Amino acid sequence: MSATTATAVPVRTAQLPSGPLAFVRDTILLTGRSLRAIPRVPERLLDVTIQPIVFILLFLYVFGSAIHVPGVNYKNFMFPGIIGQSLAFGVIGAGVATSNDMTEGVIDRFRSMPISRLSIISGQVMGQFCEQVLGFVIVIGFGLALGWSPHLTFGHGVELLGLMVLGMFAFTWAGVLFGMLVRSPDAMQGIGFIVIFPLSFLAGTFVPIAGMDAIPRAIAQWDPISALVASVRDLTTPGIHSGGSWQLDHPEVAMALWCVIILAICVPLALRRFNRTLAA
Amino acid sequence: MTEIAILTEGLTKRFGDFTAVEDLSLEVRDGTVVSLLGPNGAGKTTTVRMLATLLRPDGGHARVGGYDVVTDGARVRELISLTGQFAALDKNLTARENLVLMARLRGRNSRAARALAGQLIDRFDIGDFRDRLVKNLSGGEKRRVDLAAGLIDTPHVLVLDEPTTGLDPRSRQVVWTTIRELVAEGVTLLLTTQYLEEADALADRVVLIDRGTEVAAGTPAQLKAQVGEQRVDIVAADSAAFTELCDLLWERFEVNPAPELRTISIPAPGEAADLARIAAIVDESQISVDEVALRRPTLDDAFLALTGHTATEATPEAEEVAA
Repeated sequence: MSATTATAVPVRTAQLPSGPLAFVRDTILLTGRSLRAIPRVPERLLDVTIQPIVFILLFLYVFGSAIHVPGVNYKNFMFPGIIGQSLAFGVIGAGVATSNDMTEGVIDRFRSMPISRLSIISGQVMGQFCEQVLGFVIVIGFGLALGWSPHLTFGHGVELLGLMVLGMFAFTWAGVLFGMLVRSPDAMQGIGFIVIFPLSFLAGTFVPIAGMDAIPRAIAQWDPISALVASVRDLTTPGIHSGGSWQLDHPEVAMALWCVIILAICVPLALRRFNRTLAA
Repeated sequence: MTEIAILTEGLTKRFGDFTAVEDLSLEVRDGTVVSLLGPNGAGKTTTVRMLATLLRPDGGHARVGGYDVVTDGARVRELISLTGQFAALDKNLTARENLVLMARLRGRNSRAARALAGQLIDRFDIGDFRDRLVKNLSGGEKRRVDLAAGLIDTPHVLVLDEPTTGLDPRSRQVVWTTIRELVAEGVTLLLTTQYLEEADALADRVVLIDRGTEVAAGTPAQLKAQVGEQRVDIVAADSAAFTELCDLLWERFEVNPAPELRTISIPAPGEAADLARIAAIVDESQISVDEVALRRPTLDDAFLALTGHTATEATPEAEEVAA
């Protein structure tokens, strides 16, 4: 049998672009694939839209009457919290979508095609990122319609936009990683409820951290979502400054650092996971 | 000299304690059709996933078109096209959008991709449902789109993993016709199936596998010669009649009784003539039977004839890893 040596067949490389150009092209095509699913499966946007909207209504018109934050209108205190929380919920949204998507047969087809394997995951991340942006715009629009009045200078606006984009990017990668680690969308919802949900409430989202009990206060002071909420509040609401820990004294720097840390951990792990486990 | 499209030697894959494929050596020559025949959980899907670079072998090696699947995966992916048991399509895109996307990912510009999708839609008779979302298509329709997507560039080696499992007879005929056309064009094909009939109809060579290892190999004619062309099945009316039938027939024929089904199976190389002869004997004995019928050999018959035991049923665990 082995007497007939298998001679290598010439491969048609000419028609396929290769290198970084092919990666960018494949990523754009696969991002387009993810985006087309949005109007066809609109419930995928629920995590990043309906939940924040429910919390806005709940805290503005139900619990808000009992919460008094000195020196500031509660609306202007709460909306930065909602923005931080909806960004954090993006981890769950991206995770659920990824755990759904990565078990689909189509991913196997992509993986057995002569395309950049990295583009499969970058297409997933970009698609999820666009969903986060869409959800974010809806939440901001809803907030402004209900009378949130952020005070933004041009410089602060640019800084805020940069931080939000960086934050969504980092949280999307974290969600994509979790989505590949868990075995089902239900498990992802569970993790979201046990980890993201409490952290997003502890983060000074709806009440000031300073008034919390010792243990939740200690967690909140080092919760990454606290840095996110504090930086949005710092940039949009003059006259209010969080404090109590280094990250709350310097929320913008802390937020950027958290994002860099999350990306530095999640990107290589997600890539490794994609190449290894889905291959097994 | 004929080139070898697929060559595996000692190919092995384990999932924890479970060995899905063990020491499998396989050879598929250019321009031929080889069928990997076996029951659920035999290791068929695991094997083709290793060939398509979706799984990394734990032992042995596999080459496609002369390229190693582990060290030269990118080259292998340019030569091979795998159409799996489960539709490898985006369910939230329409049939047409899927084909255009796959064509674009294979390097075509937007216009060329649309033109090619149009040709595939005509060829695979997809026109009626081309603008429906894949999630709303029937199993047979999905399979046709899936096959079309696997043929964007005529691949050097086409691998079809159970292309007709779960299809109704009409859709199965459509798929078979398509496969025959491709083979006539000279495509090299590795086909996995659970149906002896399908391997017989399409393959030049059949490799029978069970528990991840080869149990027999040869041309369909050679295998069938060992299995016996057709069989006569007699179903007794009750268990007393079944015992009587066994007593009546075991001396004259090579009977294969299945008490739980009250069925006695007898090889019938003479086909209709044998059926008439056996029916006459049963009729004369006045033992009450529900059915006397001629039928084609199944995978179970093949296993029984070639290995002496029936096909192993897949454990749920085995099915899970195979999926």
